[in-house]
Amino acid sequence: MKVKVNMAYKPQYGPGTSKVAENRRKQMNPNQKLEKMRDVTDEDIVLILGHRAPGAAYPTAHPPLAEQQEPDCPIRKIVTPTDGAKAGDRVRYIQFTDSMFFAPCHPYQRTYTECYRFRGIDPGTLSGRQIVECRERDLEKYSKELVNTEILDAARTGIRGATVHGHSLRLAENGMMFDMLQRSVLGEDGVVRYVKNQIGEPLDRAVAIGKPLDEKWLKAHTTIFHSLGDVAYRDDKEYIEYVQRIHSLRTKYGFLPKEA
Amino acid sequence: MTEAIYPQVRIVSARFLRPDTAEQLLNRLVQVGGILRMSINGPSIPATVPYGPARGKPNPHPDRKVIHVGDQEVLLQVQVGTIILELEDESYITVIREAVDEVFADKDFSCAVQQGRYMKTQPTVSDYAKYGPDADREILGLVDPRKKGGPVIIQGNK
Repeated sequence: MKVKVNMAYKPQYGPGTSKVAENRRKQMNPNQKLEKMRDVTDEDIVLILGHRAPGAAYPTAHPPLAEQQEPDCPIRKIVTPTDGAKAGDRVRYIQFTDSMFFAPCHPYQRTYTECYRFRGIDPGTLSGRQIVECRERDLEKYSKELVNTEILDAARTGIRGATVHGHSLRLAENGMMFDMLQRSVLGEDGVVRYVKNQIGEPLDRAVAIGKPLDEKWLKAHTTIFHSLGDVAYRDDKEYIEYVQRIHSLRTKYGFLPKEA
Repeated sequence: MTEAIYPQVRIVSARFLRPDTAEQLLNRLVQVGGILRMSINGPSIPATVPYGPARGKPNPHPDRKVIHVGDQEVLLQVQVGTIILELEDESYITVIREAVDEVFADKDFSCAVQQGRYMKTQPTVSDYAKYGPDADREILGLVDPRKKGGPVIIQGNK
């Protein structure tokens, strides 16, 4: 999805002068291509998601739009349906957990990024996990982008449909984020493999998603402020000023705020 | 319940320990001696998937396994992150610090030994409501007294 060129203003995406703020803007800006880090195939994605067997037809929730009578609605004339909506796919999900130890993305950031980049999605943001729901074939396309690009790190990002606990815990000895169900395992060769799908059912074959990124890369690309070991939130004066302004305005909202 | 006269220490590593490291550390602590009670803490590794669509299905996990500590076998049900010890007297604290430093000397992360009070000294009203008047006071405040399978007892050198 491209931002319209003839827009009245140039989107800023977010405040801040720090490296973290810059990384956040980079991920949100749909004109900025995300760096490709690994090559996970369509079949691998289907296996990790666990919603259907690879190669199986997409189950449908309603007949394809072309085969059914659509009501006369101006909005439907403006909005082009996504491929999944056109075919009448079911709505399915992918959910991520991001470690607080400098994961490349985090729940709020994911939601912003997805809203700027993808169409026809319903993200859900929680403190330790972020879920995005959409039509199944769109989901597979979006998931592939989320997994293959710099938004994911093999060790500090987990694809976890349920039992997500671990984002705020210490890392394991080998650098992996704690996972009660151990869906992904770090092999002897340094490659992380998913041995269970996102809800914890064992897979027939392991899905390799590449080597964990090193600490230096993670600290350079993280979108998380961290006062221990990296950029502290309070050091980004512009960010603080912006957040305080929003906080102040929304608090005063009921009293007809007027800016000085 | 603990008696206030016994000192307590808490061993906290910067990373969660693998079962073999935990085994090595615990065996070293047992060698030091002077430990009255010990509790191993960390996030739980359940035997079955606790919730979600796969709830109730077996949860094979390489870190949920039996380790040998002293002369006993211990089933690790958690990923070891913290070890709490109750000691006979304060003279053991320095030896424990040395033992911990020795185990973590070749690791690329640190481990802290802190002194303080980490075990419950008195049952609370909630404990009474939950477990009744006859709850095992030896383990109350460390684990759920209703849990099946009591504590593992490792024979000392005395």
